[in-house]
Amino acid sequence: MAWLRPPRLSSLVRQLGFLALASAATVKYDFEIGWVTANPDGMAERSTIGINGQWPLPRIEANVGDQIIVNVLNSLGDQSTSLHFHGLFMNGSNHMDGPSQATQCPISPGSRFTYNFTIDQPGTYWYHSHDHGQYPDGLRGPLIIHDPDSPFKDDYDEELVLTVSDWYHDQMPGLLDFFISKANPTGAEPVPNSALLNDTQNLKISVEPGKRYLFRVINVGAFAGQYLWFEGHNMTIIEVDGVYHQQAEATMIYLSAAQRCSFIITAKNDTSENFPIVSSMDTSLFDKLPDDLNWNVTGWLTYDSTKPFPDPAVVDGDYEPFDDWTLVPWDNQTIYGEPDQSISLDVIMDNLDDGANYAFFNDITYRAPKVPTLYTALSAGELATDATVYGKYTHPFVLEKGQVVEIVVNNIDPGKHPFHLHGHNFQAVWRSEEEAGTFQDSGVTSANFSEVPMRRDTFVLYPNGNIVLRFLAYNPGVWLFHCHIEWHVQSGLMATFVEAPLDLQKSLVIPQNHKDACAAAGVPTVGNAAGNSANYLDLSGQNVPPGLIPEGFTTRGIVALVFSIISGLLGVAVIAWYGFVGMADQPAVEPAGAGVVSPADPPVVVAEPKGPTPTEVSLVDGAGGGGTRT
Amino acid sequence: MAVDVFSVPIFLVVFREALETVIIISVLLAFLKQTLDGPNRDVKVYRKLVRQVWLGTGLGFFLCLVIGGALIGVFYTAGGNRWENSELNYEGAFSLIASVIITAVGVALLRIGKMQEKWRVKLAVALEAPIRTGGRKGVIKRFLEKYAMFALPFITVLREGIEAIVFVAGVTFSAPASAVPLPVIVGLLAGAVVGYILYKSGSSTKLQVFLVASTCLLYLVAAGLFSRAVWYFEQQKWNTLVGSDAAELGDGPGSYDITKSVWHVNCCSPQSEGGNGWGFFNAILGWTNSATYGSVISYNVYWIFVISMFVVMRFREVKGHWPLRKPKSVAQPVAGQEKGQESENDGIVERRSAGDEQTEC
Repeated sequence: MAWLRPPRLSSLVRQLGFLALASAATVKYDFEIGWVTANPDGMAERSTIGINGQWPLPRIEANVGDQIIVNVLNSLGDQSTSLHFHGLFMNGSNHMDGPSQATQCPISPGSRFTYNFTIDQPGTYWYHSHDHGQYPDGLRGPLIIHDPDSPFKDDYDEELVLTVSDWYHDQMPGLLDFFISKANPTGAEPVPNSALLNDTQNLKISVEPGKRYLFRVINVGAFAGQYLWFEGHNMTIIEVDGVYHQQAEATMIYLSAAQRCSFIITAKNDTSENFPIVSSMDTSLFDKLPDDLNWNVTGWLTYDSTKPFPDPAVVDGDYEPFDDWTLVPWDNQTIYGEPDQSISLDVIMDNLDDGANYAFFNDITYRAPKVPTLYTALSAGELATDATVYGKYTHPFVLEKGQVVEIVVNNIDPGKHPFHLHGHNFQAVWRSEEEAGTFQDSGVTSANFSEVPMRRDTFVLYPNGNIVLRFLAYNPGVWLFHCHIEWHVQSGLMATFVEAPLDLQKSLVIPQNHKDACAAAGVPTVGNAAGNSANYLDLSGQNVPPGLIPEGFTTRGIVALVFSIISGLLGVAVIAWYGFVGMADQPAVEPAGAGVVSPADPPVVVAEPKGPTPTEVSLVDGAGGGGTRT
Repeated sequence: MAVDVFSVPIFLVVFREALETVIIISVLLAFLKQTLDGPNRDVKVYRKLVRQVWLGTGLGFFLCLVIGGALIGVFYTAGGNRWENSELNYEGAFSLIASVIITAVGVALLRIGKMQEKWRVKLAVALEAPIRTGGRKGVIKRFLEKYAMFALPFITVLREGIEAIVFVAGVTFSAPASAVPLPVIVGLLAGAVVGYILYKSGSSTKLQVFLVASTCLLYLVAAGLFSRAVWYFEQQKWNTLVGSDAAELGDGPGSYDITKSVWHVNCCSPQSEGGNGWGFFNAILGWTNSATYGSVISYNVYWIFVISMFVVMRFREVKGHWPLRKPKSVAQPVAGQEKGQESENDGIVERRSAGDEQTEC
């Protein structure tokens, strides 16, 4: 049970921000990342990653224009870490973006790392670990950027932050070991154990009648998308993933992992009842539904705490959530024209020769480079515009500054995938229905695209369907593009955009504490993806995934088969030899009428051996003739 | 030859068991005819003893059918589902047993003459032994001695029959139920026919060729079974590891343990529905589309063992002693060893007689 009141601090900050006009603040956080224990669903206590001994994690809050400094100390003791600020452009500060081995080295246990960046975008964001699939163990929290100049600032009275999430009782390293192993050849993602609202269950949000509340909702989960609705209330959507859109009414929304949505709910004018809030996990993603799984989590809008808290009503049939693709951006930004670069990526799941199931963009499954991609871009000189230096398995694409870039993603997999681009939001120019096939074969052209497409930074791709995204490459940096299902990040569904690397070389200076973290982690900071700083075009020794499964017979198989055939033939030859050679000196098969021993005769028999025999045996004819041939 | 109406391994073993049974009966009947239907005629005793032989045979056969039918019925009704989780372990165990039985017993086909001799000797000894009287001890033994003409065929038929049934039950795990009746019937008939031919006309080169060929086939089947047994055990471990998803994987990646694989092709599986031709190869030669180190090595080890076995047996036949052992000294008195020693494995009967005679033929 948890009560949520709008924090006074945020409204104070807003007021201060308003008064201070253009003066931007510096907001500082000291985060000591360490282990705590938590039991948010009341079902299992488990080790969880907390900050400053606390879980759920503290909220990062600032105003547009502020500078944020986060000093991280890794006190986990047994794991490295990093922090990514999801949705922030990091314009001019690509090295603060967070993903390990892309823009920084992992922060080793005991090491410090400082993130220092300026915010120039309002909205609802979140921060989370971007190292070895760690964040579902608890290292994720909200990041809210207030906007004194919001076009909707007069449309609500109070702000509330709401996170929805899936939750596992087991720790990620163990789950990952199973997920990527030969024992899981179908690549079935581990099913979460429960769902959480604000990292708890049975949340009660007190609301006052007639007030208008802005809910900033973030899906901080690892895997499950969530359907969210408030019984008896409509939602007026004003922002998704930090981008303002024209107001749109919805009764139910769908948030994939990592997506955000801000909407206004107007409280009713009477306090006679309380209303359930339901967040329901998208079970179409789950490989199986265990009997003890409750995929819903419930909360209440509390008008009167003395009134009962009713159970939510069962929803019959399919959910019908709001289609985010129909949103219209507030600034009416029109679709970017014909792209300067169009990149087509097919999402494929397949097995490699270690027996495990991996995720591919086209024919490449992501493998981290030996040198973080950004450091390669900074040290490669002129060769930084040659995609070769970044290695094959980072799946790099070099973008030029100012290009309009189009990404077409075709889903050759029967599962939903939410795709996220670092450093940008993109125009979601097209999304096909389920089972529509690839974009190239579907007959859809740019004539079908939205004129004023909605924008966000995490967009869902439907099973066996396709999406088309467009963005402007104005932000020099190394930006990852990946599915935000954490399991698929680890199994390789990731590509790297190296945007304007020569501009990066001119503007970016890596601070000493970043270099110290690299030294502590033993990760080089110069060189190509193979760590080669002498010849950037020589990629031998780069990290590679397991090999492809051989088609048909390999040398080993042919040798084994031939050998076995020879054994069989040899064996058969020996048997035949034994059978025929015995004819000469064995007792012949006699007609039954012959050679019967009579009781009077001395007992008899067998084998007359050739050659010297120590034991002589005699064969005696019975009355009636017949005999043994010698 | 479609595998789903005619299972070759079942045919081979039933044939072999039927053949040995017919030989026993033919020896008994011929003996009776010789002694009691010849010059020293004693019709009443002759008829009585002949009746005993047929009674023993018939009852043994009938009991085999009953037990066999019951066992197979139990497998198919009660056992079928319960064993799903470790079904392959059972299949593996049965394949192994079948392989061992064939290996041990198959060689007798090449020494049918020895088989006849063995039975003659046994018979003579049984009839010669005085009927002992007195005491409660050994009631059964005395009964058997008195009614040797009944007991011998009865026990032999029963034993051979149960051997065959265990094998048939094991093979029917992998073959569909429809593949069982036909080869059983054909095997019985073939065994009976060949036995009758032997009864009437004795041996010939043609017969030996036939016997050699069928024994070769039998050993190929046994080699395949041995390899398959190992394969089944490994596949069961794999299915348990992967769990419920194993069923949906067909022949593709994930349906086998790639770290133990020697070869794998996504077609040509004896297990798959349309696998008729490949199922046949699997039955005769142990072919599998997904071979493991275990299955390949066990196949080769089996042949090495069989080759050694035959070579050693031949050595024994020729030299009179096992390799690496001293030849046994001559004329050892052997009191109380009237029945002689025999090794079921190779049908060689060695007898030492008190005051042995030496006769050269």
